[in-house]
Amino acid sequence: MAHGLSQERIVLMIATGLFILFSVTLNGFLSADNLLSLVQNVSILGILGVGMAIAIIGRGIDLSILSTMPVSVAWLLNLINGGMPIWAALLCALALVVVIGAINGFLIAYVEIPAIFATLAMGIVVYGFGKAYLAPIDAVYITRTDAWFYSIGSGRVLGVPTPVIVFALVAAAAYLFLRYAKLGRFIYGMGDNPLTARITGIPVRPMMLVQYIIISVIALIAGIVMATALSGINTRLALSTMVYDVILVVVLGGIGLSGGKGGIRNVVVGTLLIGILLNGMTIMNLTYTVQSILKSTILLLAIVADTLLNPRDEQTAQHGDI
Amino acid sequence: MQPLIEMQGVTKEYRGVPAVTKVDFVLQKGEIHALLGENGAGKSTLTKMMSGVTQPTHGEVRLKGRPVAFRTPSEALTEGVAMVFQETSLVPSMTVAQNLYLGDENLFNRIRGLNIAAQTFLQSLNFNVNPTALVSSLGAAHKQMVEIARAVRKNVEVIIFDEPTAALTPEEKRHFFALVERLKARGVSIVFISHAIEEALAIADRITILRDGELVASDATAAFNRDTIIRAMVGRSLSDGLYRRDTGQEPRPVGEKMLSVQNVSMGSIVRNTSFSIYSGQITGMFGLIGSGRTEVAKIIAGIVKRNFFNGGEIRLREEPVRYRVPRQAVQDGIVYVTEDRKVEGFFETMTIAENLHMGVLSAGLSRGNIVNMGEMRAIAAEWTKTLNIRAINNNARVIELSGGNQQKVVISKSLVQQPKIIIFDEPTRGVDVGAISEIHQFINRLADQGLAVVVISSYLPEILNLSDRILVTRAGRVVEEFSPAEATEEKIMYAAVH
Repeated sequence: MAHGLSQERIVLMIATGLFILFSVTLNGFLSADNLLSLVQNVSILGILGVGMAIAIIGRGIDLSILSTMPVSVAWLLNLINGGMPIWAALLCALALVVVIGAINGFLIAYVEIPAIFATLAMGIVVYGFGKAYLAPIDAVYITRTDAWFYSIGSGRVLGVPTPVIVFALVAAAAYLFLRYAKLGRFIYGMGDNPLTARITGIPVRPMMLVQYIIISVIALIAGIVMATALSGINTRLALSTMVYDVILVVVLGGIGLSGGKGGIRNVVVGTLLIGILLNGMTIMNLTYTVQSILKSTILLLAIVADTLLNPRDEQTAQHGDI
Repeated sequence: MQPLIEMQGVTKEYRGVPAVTKVDFVLQKGEIHALLGENGAGKSTLTKMMSGVTQPTHGEVRLKGRPVAFRTPSEALTEGVAMVFQETSLVPSMTVAQNLYLGDENLFNRIRGLNIAAQTFLQSLNFNVNPTALVSSLGAAHKQMVEIARAVRKNVEVIIFDEPTAALTPEEKRHFFALVERLKARGVSIVFISHAIEEALAIADRITILRDGELVASDATAAFNRDTIIRAMVGRSLSDGLYRRDTGQEPRPVGEKMLSVQNVSMGSIVRNTSFSIYSGQITGMFGLIGSGRTEVAKIIAGIVKRNFFNGGEIRLREEPVRYRVPRQAVQDGIVYVTEDRKVEGFFETMTIAENLHMGVLSAGLSRGNIVNMGEMRAIAAEWTKTLNIRAINNNARVIELSGGNQQKVVISKSLVQQPKIIIFDEPTRGVDVGAISEIHQFINRLADQGLAVVVISSYLPEILNLSDRILVTRAGRVVEEFSPAEATEEKIMYAAVH
């Protein structure tokens, strides 16, 4: 990195500082129960953040993941509760998210709608469709607690809560994918400069399709972790502001909105900071409104910082010719 | 006489790295002052400090004897210092007239009145631009004209041009120089950055040469000649053959017919053009801006998709081809090296190795779906050596390189794709003198190796120096073909204009 003190490192320091501050000042922050819930929330946010990062690195964005996640998982639970074998229900949910991702990708790549509008609209479509046909009741609970499925989000391996393990696996897979897979490199190329990517011979449009399908599948994984950790899922999540938390995680971690920059490490540090902050605010018993103001202010600051750190002006355009 | 602008010991550092070190610069009233130097010599930075785009880290800028510190270009403008940038700062979705008067409109404007005023003004400058045309529909040269006209209209005392002639055809250059002379007669001082030494010798009153951010020479033009300038710029004397093919060298023989373009049309830009390209040869393509040379190259390489109703046929080794996306062309061995590398040439956040490897991956030349880091480094090492690409270190991002090195990266990114046909569009635009000769030598080597090479250029000496065949385009089609033996600058120019 060109900067001596990268955004990634600054965020990590702030996160550590906050953690220490909250541990000292907040009663119950360090309790086992709270740390478990912190870790669960952080993991779900982190998994979604990985998906969002893949979108933003490829110079896109996916606002529909917060609809895809609860709708597909609510349907999955409904199918399971209705007596379908778990593996069959999982396949159905997988098919659903692949279709959603493919439609997103198609709209963005072939119809050439800006990602922000395509996925914004698709989010509403998915929520509406899910509400009408897949999960008419907002809250869906797990009734059959078959050991292996239930333990995806609520078990422990060697004392480590499984959501953390799933997050770690997703993050590691995404890290390897982005860094070493041909398709991952193409996503960086497209994000860096779509025109160059096209001329160089990268299959830009099919790649976008793949990209948004991957993101949708990651949303499904996050949803399964969430549902099994909390014994159910509420489709009203689609109407919440959680999608902004996810963007916050990604941008704060240091993935530039202009594309092509950053990686999974940035998501991890961003997730840590936001997870600790959200948890601390909840313990402090701040009202939802105050929390929203704080979060949105931080998001704005992060975007401003992003613009300052990754400027798109005459100066950078000319950087090669000083 | 009191100098108009005086800079004393100015230094500019970017993140601690000096771009300009302790430079003194004096601009007199009514003087044409050329600023020469290789890419990365600090010319742009020096002029940006005059015009308020950046501020000097140390040193002083004085305007008519009074110390000034412009914080923005608009502050400089109110003091009578204007800068015309390489990258145009026009609003693409507005008309030429609207752009000319942008910021100076009355509360209510009659569009017709605006257009008439713009028309009169443009004609007074001898610029052939339609004031009602949208800026986005103009070519690079016309955009530049509008940009210049806008600066002239502000009645400034100093106009700084950053490579004003890079995008202009010879005809337009003559108009531009005439304009500069007229501005001078009106008492306006001109600073212009240039790569073309002949231009500086022809029109400048005074020449300042920078090298590696330091002042090497500054004197009246009469004190210089081509050779002394080059020596001052690069710190060494280049072989004289830079733009002159060794006399007596025969053109390469015609090889296999690789590509034939037959009656291809597209809109009003490419009209029923036909020509062929052979392997083992350099086919030079000369034409004025707007003559369809870039567009036909982009059609061949699949970058512009051509609709069926436009008719015509492109045959690759006698097989008809019609590419929808560049990927198909790349896989068939046709690559296009862009004229605008910043927009569509390289991946700026990536290192040289990553850029080159992206070419390998896209062409499907790397086995498997996993990136082989060893292979990536090996390719980078090989090509940085072949093309003598200079970077501070292996982790330098391409955006941090100088123009010449960036161009070499773009060229190698195409060559790692193992093409059969390579099309260079303005291969040496915005490239410093040293790199130009290296790139030319390399292009010659490619043809010797048997590739079919096309060089599109609006710089006649380049065409004459490199080509084994010369095609001239005009109004969307190839109108004439010359052999190097019979071609002269005059003949080619005549074919391109009439």
